Amino acid sequence: MTTQKSKNEVFVVKHLRSALGSPMETALSRSRERVNKWFAEEAPLIQWGEMSSPLGPLFAAVNERGLCALDFGRQESEFLQRFDNRTRLEKDPKAVQRVLVQLREYFAGDRSSFNLPVDISQLTPFQRSVLEVACRIAPGQVWTYHRVAEELGRPRSSRPVGGALARNPIPIVIPCHRVVASDGSLGGYSGGSGLKAKRWLLRLEGAL
Amino acid sequence: MALRFEELIERHHDEIFAYLWRLLGNDGRRDAATDVEDLTQDVFLRAFDSFVGLRPNSNHRAWLYKIATHCAYTQLRRIKHRRDKLSSLKHSTAELEISISRKDMEQRVRALVNELPAKQKACVTLRYLQDLDYPEIAQILSCSQESARANVYQAIRHLRLALEGER
Repeated sequence: MTTQKSKNEVFVVKHLRSALGSPMETALSRSRERVNKWFAEEAPLIQWGEMSSPLGPLFAAVNERGLCALDFGRQESEFLQRFDNRTRLEKDPKAVQRVLVQLREYFAGDRSSFNLPVDISQLTPFQRSVLEVACRIAPGQVWTYHRVAEELGRPRSSRPVGGALARNPIPIVIPCHRVVASDGSLGGYSGGSGLKAKRWLLRLEGAL
Repeated sequence: MALRFEELIERHHDEIFAYLWRLLGNDGRRDAATDVEDLTQDVFLRAFDSFVGLRPNSNHRAWLYKIATHCAYTQLRRIKHRRDKLSSLKHSTAELEISISRKDMEQRVRALVNELPAKQKACVTLRYLQDLDYPEIAQILSCSQESARANVYQAIRHLRLALEGER
């Protein structure tokens, strides 16, 4: 009975495969091209590159608006994981060359601020305003979380300020490491190796 | 690392296109190839819109097939509606097409498959042409494995009886 059943199946499946086997190759490749073209037009392009730095491997990424991500002391896969998985990711050292050149100058002590377009449009208005205040802190200086909150006109928001700084997608270039706790301790730091990296950066800038 | 959308296209475009082709591209309509291309694009467009909400450990392949099946069902309904309208006009072309296709076994099989109810057509295509297993088919069609098996059985039985009648 089973043999008869499978014989019947084999008979039908053989005809099915022969009749509906494969689509036309021309139509298939035309469709592949079309879907890829649509995706290239639809999905935002993010180009990234890496360099070695005193704080470990450093990764930077740019989109059409400017520098959108930077991280160091982590694995490449950890860095790439942060991007929306619908974006197109392209490793392109040329696209981030300007960023990496300025960072090399910074690590060598030849540069204290950066001249780069950045994109922090993915953040909330509050997070953006906190990072904009952080950009006003001169190299070699430190402000407290409380002072940043005061600058924003929200003196009781030291903790949310700390939260916004911890989500800084572009550390070093947006100098969130220049914000410390009121008790004189370093506070927190989410870049690279954490407080060790923060201390290193503040020493490089002569703030410690 | 979570699957990226460009990898999804790279890995699954061809099989999704082939699946839609098998469901919709073989019924002799002049615009069938264009329909399948449009539909494939539509599947990836819909997938793109809901990709962010998808859990990283989801079965992306089954999810994509589910979208494709949904798009195909809509299109099959449209085609059937058009056909019903045409046949109600009592044109003799349908009869003529059948008598011509009898000369060609492959064409006859295609015609028979196109006559199957949409779910049977999808089940038998997923099982024997896309080589998916029953748990996956059940997931794609939001039904039990038993239901998927029963649909495949009915489709095979119908095709066998019709084809045996031809011998």
